[in-house]
Amino acid sequence: MAILELNQVTKSFGTGHKKVDALKETHFQAEKGELIAVIGPSGSGKSTFLTIAGGLQTPTGGEVIINNQNITELSEKKRSKIRLQEIGFILQASNLVPFLTVRNQMKLLDQVKKDNMTKEELTQLYEGLGISDLLDKYPADLSGGERQRVAIAKALYSNPSIILADEPTASLDSDRAYEVMELLQRETKSKKTTTIVVTHDTRLISYCDKVYKMTDGEIRLEET
Amino acid sequence: MFLAWNEIKKNKLRFILITGVLMLVSYLVFFLSGLASGLENLNREAVDKWEATAIVVTEESDKSLPQSSMTLDDIDDIEAEDTAVIGQFNAIATNGGKKANVAIFGIEKDEFIMPDVSQGEAFSKNNEVIASDALLEDGFEIGDTLDLSSTEEKLTIVGFTEDARFNAAPVLYGDLSTFQRVKFGEAAETKGDQINGIVLRVDDLSNVTDNEDLEVVEIETFITNLPGYTEQSLTLSFMIYFLFVISSVIVAIFLYVLTVQKISLFGVMKAQGVSNGYLSRSVIAQTFILAVIGVAVGFALALITGAFLPGAVPVSFDIATMVMYGLILIAVAIMGAVFSVWTIVKIDPLKAIGG
Repeated sequence: MAILELNQVTKSFGTGHKKVDALKETHFQAEKGELIAVIGPSGSGKSTFLTIAGGLQTPTGGEVIINNQNITELSEKKRSKIRLQEIGFILQASNLVPFLTVRNQMKLLDQVKKDNMTKEELTQLYEGLGISDLLDKYPADLSGGERQRVAIAKALYSNPSIILADEPTASLDSDRAYEVMELLQRETKSKKTTTIVVTHDTRLISYCDKVYKMTDGEIRLEET
Repeated sequence: MFLAWNEIKKNKLRFILITGVLMLVSYLVFFLSGLASGLENLNREAVDKWEATAIVVTEESDKSLPQSSMTLDDIDDIEAEDTAVIGQFNAIATNGGKKANVAIFGIEKDEFIMPDVSQGEAFSKNNEVIASDALLEDGFEIGDTLDLSSTEEKLTIVGFTEDARFNAAPVLYGDLSTFQRVKFGEAAETKGDQINGIVLRVDDLSNVTDNEDLEVVEIETFITNLPGYTEQSLTLSFMIYFLFVISSVIVAIFLYVLTVQKISLFGVMKAQGVSNGYLSRSVIAQTFILAVIGVAVGFALALITGAFLPGAVPVSFDIATMVMYGLILIAVAIMGAVFSVWTIVKIDPLKAIGG
């Protein structure tokens, strides 16, 4: 069953001569338990694709369906709720709150949402990411790689049905990058979530079930 | 609260500064309110002591006791549960060393405005007076003989009473005949029925008198018509009201700057689905915490300062008024925060995350 569906989605900015098609007519489907990579050079429309799929902006045309809900016509308030319930973002810009310790980053999610991971699951998650010793530290005291792993923990903690990751390995060395991809793969398979990784790092492709390539606003499935 | 409190804990210096400003503003508000009520008391405490509801003065006196002149016969025109006659005369009194501006009240000993004696005894003979204990602080003592300006009569202090100042002058309570002798000198014999007003305790003011030459003035109206009273309290009230506005603006600016600094953070959180409501509540909660701490510290500081001030500074803290002002300060601080809430609502999560 498709958990995320984009039907005839287009996105353009501006009008007339200045009109730019950031996303040409796009059909896209992601199933539960799939780890998908979207690769392409910068400016190819990857981020537009990700933000539309995540309900952060509305498409110019077409419809986006997340977990059987058509979110295209929903108000920002309702889309915000769906983001909270269904989607875990791992963003390029660190999505950590600078004045909260690692432990409290998770607590913040408890404040705004129910059905997060249990204590045992969280302990396992910390161990899996190798951040068990960092729980009382603030983001400023962490290295780039550690911050990224905490950000991943935060995205996974809320038990989302879809994980959208924008360059999750950008600030990591190769070994760490592979570890992170292994972790995402493990989580995707064991929890039957859907993970979409937007990246230009082709080393990561081997971990993914499907690879899409993005060029000039067109998305195309790559044969693997 | 969770987000608000954790941010305060992490960025202590920043929030101590805001709290410090709020503390200073509230300190000033509390201190001014203490001064305001101190100045008011200076004018009215003798009148408050009477626990009267109204006072009768002549219509032509325009609610001013010294300008009102009537005779004891006028009581016959008055219908009230309880009446007390009063004669009033201002003079400079000296005991040889100290000088003081005093208000001499001539009263009947058995009527209700007769003050309680806190030290010494009540007057029993002509030219004996009970003095306001403000004079005690000024260096006057029981047994002092007072020379008065504009008359040859001498008064003797036989006792003191608390809280007896009228229009900033300490009161000397004496017999009606004492007052008449002081006021009229040798003519006192023929003016033995002259008084200035009649103080009343009465529930219904409308049927007190038919005499058109007399005016029944509610006590509160009487007090606000004391010379300088309204001007003084309005001046201080205006300062206090301006401080409310200022503290609201200060908080608004501080929080706005803090919020602008966090736009990308709020944007990321909104992208993750944290609602405007939660973020706004957090900012409001933060303001509430800061305002409560600032106001509480300001409150304590004002009380401490008041305790160490010399007696010449007329501060008197009315806790009920201060609590009300404190609540207003917290409320206007929160109104200042609303400005930032508006900013938060406008943040586009997409722009904030650089999509």
